[in-house]
Amino acid sequence: MDSLNNATFEALQLLASGDSGLWNIIGISFKVSTTAILIATPPSLLLAFLLAYGDFPGRRLLISVFSTLLSIPAVVVGLTLYLMLSRQGPLGDLKLLFTQSAMVIGQIVLCVPILVAMCHSALQAADRRAWETARTLGAGPVRAVLTVMHEVRFGLFAALLAAYGRIIAEVGASMMLGGNILNATRNIPTAIALETSKGEFSQGIALGIVLLILAFILNGLLHYFQGKGRFAT
Amino acid sequence: MTATINIQFKGIAKRYRRRTILDGIDISLQASQCTLLCGANGAGKTTLLKIMAGLVKPDSGTLNTGLGEMKWRRCIKALKEKAMYMHQHPYMFDASVRRNIAYALPPMLSREDRDKRIYEALAWANLEPLATASATILSGGEVQRVALARAWLRSPSVLLLDEPTTNMDHDARLRTHNLLRQLKDQGMAIVISSHDALQFQSLACRQLLLKDGKISPVNKTTQAENVSAFPIGPIHQHQQA
Repeated sequence: MDSLNNATFEALQLLASGDSGLWNIIGISFKVSTTAILIATPPSLLLAFLLAYGDFPGRRLLISVFSTLLSIPAVVVGLTLYLMLSRQGPLGDLKLLFTQSAMVIGQIVLCVPILVAMCHSALQAADRRAWETARTLGAGPVRAVLTVMHEVRFGLFAALLAAYGRIIAEVGASMMLGGNILNATRNIPTAIALETSKGEFSQGIALGIVLLILAFILNGLLHYFQGKGRFAT
Repeated sequence: MTATINIQFKGIAKRYRRRTILDGIDISLQASQCTLLCGANGAGKTTLLKIMAGLVKPDSGTLNTGLGEMKWRRCIKALKEKAMYMHQHPYMFDASVRRNIAYALPPMLSREDRDKRIYEALAWANLEPLATASATILSGGEVQRVALARAWLRSPSVLLLDEPTTNMDHDARLRTHNLLRQLKDQGMAIVISSHDALQFQSLACRQLLLKDGKISPVNKTTQAENVSAFPIGPIHQHQQA
């Protein structure tokens, strides 16, 4: 118990002292995950809308595929992309393996199913009259899509936050695709795994505290938006 | 105003799964003409109105919007520009009354023009006191007035209303009738679907019955049958008085 207390105390000291190594890891984590979510969101929203409002062959199959991909382990995504990006792989010439770009790709693959499935649910639950009203009031397809998305914005925000929470805390894909290289691809979860294996608990706990604070903030925002959505309808 | 034919629909057919909803409907709409579309529940009134608004694609049928008879796909854009559909319970966006009304304006309008036209629409529908209120908490009658203000602002050639006075009290019905009459006098072709033929008799120029996928004009005998099928509500008593 004493060692846990000591490690926690040291972790707080590390955070407070502005340890450059520690904050660098935190910075990489946020940079990679934010880039991934920014790239993944627009096409995911569009796809979710098409799945909710479109009528084309294979729509139901696609919905089932995305629902299934929700539970895909990060390690499996990491392994698949590793094989594709490694020198012998079909994308080996791009030389992306063990770079932040590879981590971004891995996180995009992980968050797209969450975004599509959750945004699809939110859009599916939207009142159909919203789309018809927008169109009959003279809105073009783009304006009408944006209007319907605005109507279910709280559900869409919730999807965004859930996806961000998932990718910033995942370790499997980042470890395999980034390689956990200091000052380059070491992010919070991979650093925690490494420090724990070395017995350096204080840095692991400090990073864990950052993740916990982030999870708390994301959950708080999620409940706030869900609450607003409930009261708005 | 000279009544000119705005839109002609020919041979409109629609099937849902194996059920024929509309079976070759021909209907023409003229400016300043109010058509009352009657029929039982599930007769296909809403489907027909949505097809006429360009919101639902028919299985077959042609359209003449003034440029000659054309296939549906070729003139759907023109139809959407000319026609506007109002739901039985009009949808209000999660915003203020003012913003709901402003939605009917073209987005490129200047700020001054925008404000001026919104103010005019609010005044027309007597909605000024509710301008900043959330549109999602309005009563049925107020919602209908906001929807009519949007129609007034958009001023389509054809206005299609689905059971516009359902669950409304007497005053709200009278207000809605009054606003509809003004829209008709402005030159709009109005189509109202309703169970209750008597309620819109003073407003309607003609009455059509949708039954078994076919449409037919209502003669006096049929109308009498329709009247006896529905109890006389407060609005009828008022009209009779």
